[in-house]
This record gives sequence, structure tokens and C-alpha cells, in this order.
Amino acid sequence: MVQEKIRFQPFSSEPIRLVDEQGHWIAPFEHGLPPEQLQRFYRDMLAARLLDEKLVILIRTGKTSFIAPHAGHEAAQVGIAHALRKGHDWLFPYYRDMGLVLAMGVPLVEIFGQTLGNAADPAKGRQMPSHPGSRPLNIFTVCSAIASHVPPAAGAAISMKLRRTHQVAVCTFGDGATSEGDWHAGLNFAAVQGAPAVFVCENNRYAISVNISKQTASQNIAVKAHAYGIPGYYVDGLDVLASYFVMQEALERARAGQGASLVELVVHRFGAHSSADDDSRYRSREELAAERQQDPLLRYQRFLEKQGLWDAQWANELRLEISKELEAALQEAQKAGEPDPLQMFDDVYAARPWHLEEQRRLVAEELQS
Amino acid sequence: MPTITLIQAINTALDEEMNRDERVMLLGEDVGKRGGVFLATEGLQQKYGPDRVIDTPLSEAAILGAAVGLAAHGMRPVAEIQFADYVFPGIDQLFSQAAKLRYRSGGQFTAPMVVRMPSGGGVKGGHHHSQSPEAHFAHTAGLKVVVVSTPYDAKGLLKTAIRDDDPVVFMEPKRLYRAVKEEVPSDDYLIPIGKAAVRREGRDITLVSYGGPMVETLKAAEEMAAAGVEAEVIDLRTVMPWDKEAVLNSVAKTGRLLMIAEAPRTASVASEVAATVSEELFDQLLAPPLRVTGFDTPYPLAQDKLYMPTVTRILNAAKRLLDY
Ligand SMILES: Cc1ncc(C[n+]2csc(CCOP(=O)(O)OP(=O)(O)O)c2C)c(N)n1
Repeated sequence: MVQEKIRFQPFSSEPIRLVDEQGHWIAPFEHGLPPEQLQRFYRDMLAARLLDEKLVILIRTGKTSFIAPHAGHEAAQVGIAHALRKGHDWLFPYYRDMGLVLAMGVPLVEIFGQTLGNAADPAKGRQMPSHPGSRPLNIFTVCSAIASHVPPAAGAAISMKLRRTHQVAVCTFGDGATSEGDWHAGLNFAAVQGAPAVFVCENNRYAISVNISKQTASQNIAVKAHAYGIPGYYVDGLDVLASYFVMQEALERARAGQGASLVELVVHRFGAHSSADDDSRYRSREELAAERQQDPLLRYQRFLEKQGLWDAQWANELRLEISKELEAALQEAQKAGEPDPLQMFDDVYAARPWHLEEQRRLVAEELQS
Repeated sequence: MPTITLIQAINTALDEEMNRDERVMLLGEDVGKRGGVFLATEGLQQKYGPDRVIDTPLSEAAILGAAVGLAAHGMRPVAEIQFADYVFPGIDQLFSQAAKLRYRSGGQFTAPMVVRMPSGGGVKGGHHHSQSPEAHFAHTAGLKVVVVSTPYDAKGLLKTAIRDDDPVVFMEPKRLYRAVKEEVPSDDYLIPIGKAAVRREGRDITLVSYGGPMVETLKAAEEMAAAGVEAEVIDLRTVMPWDKEAVLNSVAKTGRLLMIAEAPRTASVASEVAATVSEELFDQLLAPPLRVTGFDTPYPLAQDKLYMPTVTRILNAAKRLLDY
């Protein structure tokens, strides 16, 4: 029963943390995880970091038009991914979740196809890069409109309750998203319905240039859960194990019919908001340098080292292996080529109405001339 | 006269109006410290302080709803919606409150506010950074809707919009922000809302457009000129209320209307102009009015350039009109 497993108190004044900066396990319980799983967390975090670096190269070399860097969010994203039952639970991610969807098992070729907006994108190159989604993996397609996916996540969770599927809807977003009306509407509805939803804020304290102090007067995001009558967990999102265990508890709670919860994972955003942003306009280099000292990968590396599960050679081999995978997938995605231009008229409706047939003919003629 | 870009013209207009009238203030996402994601408000918070240039929470409902209250209480807010695509979380405030406040209060309350928003495609922005939602606003009684295409107009029209006693939606085609430059007077001048501009005179065919596709429209007109066809080109500048007189005068002269717009075709501003011309000039038309527009699909990233009216599509439609 869930009741017996309760480990975490909602609304704590300090962020929940299981591993300290030096890599010591500081929780009052045993983690009980097998070495392979502990190493898997590291692998996924490293893969997320290397994917981010690769995306930065793609933008610098003009091969893609947009990226939203996720470096600094790896521990949070990997923690979320591993707590979910992949392909069973539903994920409603946002545009900064590239590391998360990778850890969820979205094939790298699809990730790059979406990044290039080409024929390797299962979504046919319709949306800007950093907007993944996967029907087979129950990953709802990302929408740019901030917080617009929160009420749909509530709806999916209500459906899960009605249909008794034992699934959970997990919905992620940034701190800025918590200001939108949709966010409040979604949390409220899911809470009222006792729906199996876990709302997860990856709080990097910036919404583009706007600091969290201009976003909310609350002491943190987790406390907002009070208003909806659900638990709110305040968590160190640079700690992959804290992110994982708290998420797992919130998911199990939802699965056991105890309703929705809010999890705040406090993270850093090492990069600018996006490739269209210059963050030196609004945050000091000192602030950023200090944050970079708290690299989630480094903290977890220290933890693994103490368990005898990390050494430089293993990490180097891992890095090499992942880099090769990334490069191979990128090559393959690049080979896919442009999507058929006439695909523009597909998927607007289940069947093409007359006016879209007409417009499609017009473009076909134009392309032929 | 300095030669400036469209975005600089916006910045200048805001600066001059804030300087002129203490009630003028700005609010929106990232408008302060960062100066707006396109830098339209660059330097203004440093100059006028954080009370007159407010970095708001990420909530369009808060931005637009608060603008209504600020305006009703005597301020002159200029709200920035980061991308036109993101007005929708705030649309209830714009449609239910701002647009109808004067009417439903019998003129007792008003909301003299400006809502600025970058609109349109052509910048590889994908669906949610490329839409042209002007028809939604034009369809909502109580709103005035401006869509600019030149730096000169942007400055003159924005200043007028700020001084206007009604809510004005002010749309800025983002692909033109830095693509067009021209000499713009450094002094105070105003361009009236509701007046079109004749960009080119001609007597064979009337091309009516506004915003982003003015670029393709003028290119097409040049190509037509090279082939001996004189096109008259009208830039609507305001799409609600649009300059019916200017369009009718021109079409009465040429007998042919081609509407060019980037927004989806059905129930659009282009449709409205074409319908009005059919109603009022039926006897004088040499051919039925035609529309070249965006398609009735969501805006697609991969087909970014193909979605918008291309010069080829404009020329093909013009040929149909001339050969009719
Ligand atoms: C409704 C809406 N308004 C504005 C934007 C433009 N925008 C994109 S990301 C962003 C900031 C989001 O910040 P946050 O939610 O904290 O997430 P983070 O990017 O920090 O991870 C803004 C304002 C948008 N995409 N949608």
C-alpha cells in the first residue's frame, strides 16, 4: 500500500534532497536500487547533456532554426522519465524536455528529424524544433503556447480514472507557465476530480528574461498546491535520485486513487532561454558561473564514485558510445530529406474537404510550373 | 532624417509617446530588462523605470485584462503580446472586456489601449510563431486593427493608436522588422487610422494587400510593369475599419481587383474586401475579384515559404484577371 511507503512530506521549507553536493546519500532510507539502474540514470543524464551539445552545434552551423537548451535540467528530466511506466503512463511535456523524451525512449532519429523539420519527423515537419511527441510512447505532442497542455493533461487523467486504466498523466512546464490561467484551470479541475495527474514544474527561475520574483509572490511553486487542495512537493531538481523518488511516490499515489499532486523540481538553466535569446542582457555571468558549479551530472558522478560505480574510463567509453549513437542517428535523419510539400494539406481534418482539395491543386500546379 | 528599420520605428514611437504623455506605459512579457524578444522596447525601462515599463507574469489574460483596467482608470497602456499566436490565452479579456466596454456601458467606461503584436510567417518560426490572426480581431466589434508594412507608417500609426480613444490591435509583421529600412522623420507626425496608402499607381489592375505580403505584392507589380502591365498597388494599413473609398476608387479605374494576404483564405479580410467590391462595383468589373492568400491549414514549418502568397501565385492570379 502507498500509505506504508510514504517518505516525503509536502510543503517542506527546504527542497527535498537525497544526495548532497559532495555525493553523500543523506536520506533516512536505503535507496535499494540495483547498480545497473543507478548507472542507467547516469547514462541517460549524459546522453541528455550530449544531445544538448549536439543541438547547439546544429544551431551554430545553421542546420536547424531553433533550440531550447535543457542543460541543467538533466537530473530532473531523467528522474521524471524513470519514475513513469514508459508507454503506459502519458506524458504531456514542454519544449525544454528534449532530455526527458530521449530518456522516455523516443528514437534519436525522430528527435533529429523533428529538429531538422524533415521527412524523418513523425509529425511531418509541421512544428518548430524542440516540439517532440510520440503516439506509440504516449507522449502528447508539445505545443508552443505556454501552459495550454495543462488542462488536456487533466482531461486525460480524468479519462484514466473513468476508464480505470491505472495510468497517470504527468505534465511538465516551467515556472513561467504557472502564471497562465490554463495552469490554474487545469490543476483545479484535476484536483477536484481526484484525477491521477502529476504536475511537474521544472523551475529554473527564469521565464525568458523574467525572474521568478516577477512571476509569483509565493514562497515557491510547490505551495500553490495548497490552493487546490493537493500536496505540493518542493524538490532539489539537481538531484536525480530525489527527483526520481519523489516522482515515483507522486505517481504511485495517483495510481492508488489518491488524486493529483504538484512537484516542483528546482533546476538551473545553463543556456540562454533559446537560440533566439541572449541571456547576458538580463543575468550576470557571475550568477551563471555559480550555477554551473552545481552541475547535476557532477553531483551524481560523485555519488556513483562513492558506490564504486563510476570511474573516468567507464565514463569516457560511455561518452564515446553515446556520441557515436548521436552522430549515426543524425546522419540517418539527414538522409530522410524534405517532406513532400503537398503534405501541407494533410491532417487538417480526417478527410480533406473541397476547399483544401482546391488549395492543394493550386500548389501542385504552382510546383509544376 | 535617420534611416531606420521597422522595429526601430516602433521603439522611437513608444519613446516619443512616453515622453509626451506620462500616462503612456508599457506592459508585457520580457519588455523590461530584456527590451522585448524583438527589442521593440529596448532601453525604455532604463529610461522610464519599472513602473512605466512592467515585466509582467507570463499571462496574456493578466496583461490584457490589466490593460483594460489601467485604461479605464486613466492610463494609456501599450500591451505587448510576445507573438500574435499567444494572444489566445488573453482573448476573453480582449473580446469580452476591451472591445465591448464602451458599448455595454453606454459610453460611460472606455479602454483606450494598444495591443502590439508581432505577426505573420516567413521566419522559420513554425506554427505558433507565424500566424496572422487579424480576421479574428476584425470580426470583433469595438476593436480597430492596424497592420503595418513600413517603418514610416509604423511610427506614425503607432503614435496615432496610442492617442486613440478606442482599443487598437497593432500588428507588426515580424519578417519585416529588420528587412525594410527607410528615412523616417525624427519629429512628431501622425498617420490616421483607417486610411490606405497608394504604393504605386497604375490603371490595368488593382492589387490590394497589407503587412508582410506587401513585399511580394510590390515585386509582382514590378514584374508586371516589365511586361507592360500597370498595376495599382494599395496598402490597406488598417484592416478594421478598412479604407473602402480608396479601394473602390482604384477598382473603379482598373476594373480588376486582386487581394493579397497571408492569413488563411476563408472568412478573411481578403474575403471581405473582395465581397464589398463585388457588391458595390459589380457593373464596372472586367473580371471577378480574386484572392491570393495563405491556406486554410495551420501554418506549417516545413512549407514556410510555400504557405505565404508567392510572387508566382500573385502573377498567375493577375494573369487570370487580365485574360478574363
Ligand atoms: C501563451 C504564450 N505566451 C508567450 C509565449 C512565449 N514564451 C515562450 S517560452 C516563454 C517563457 C517560459 O518560461 P517558463 O515557463 O519558466 O519555462 P522555461 O523556458 O524557463 O523552461 C515565453 C514567454 C508562449 N510560448 N506562449
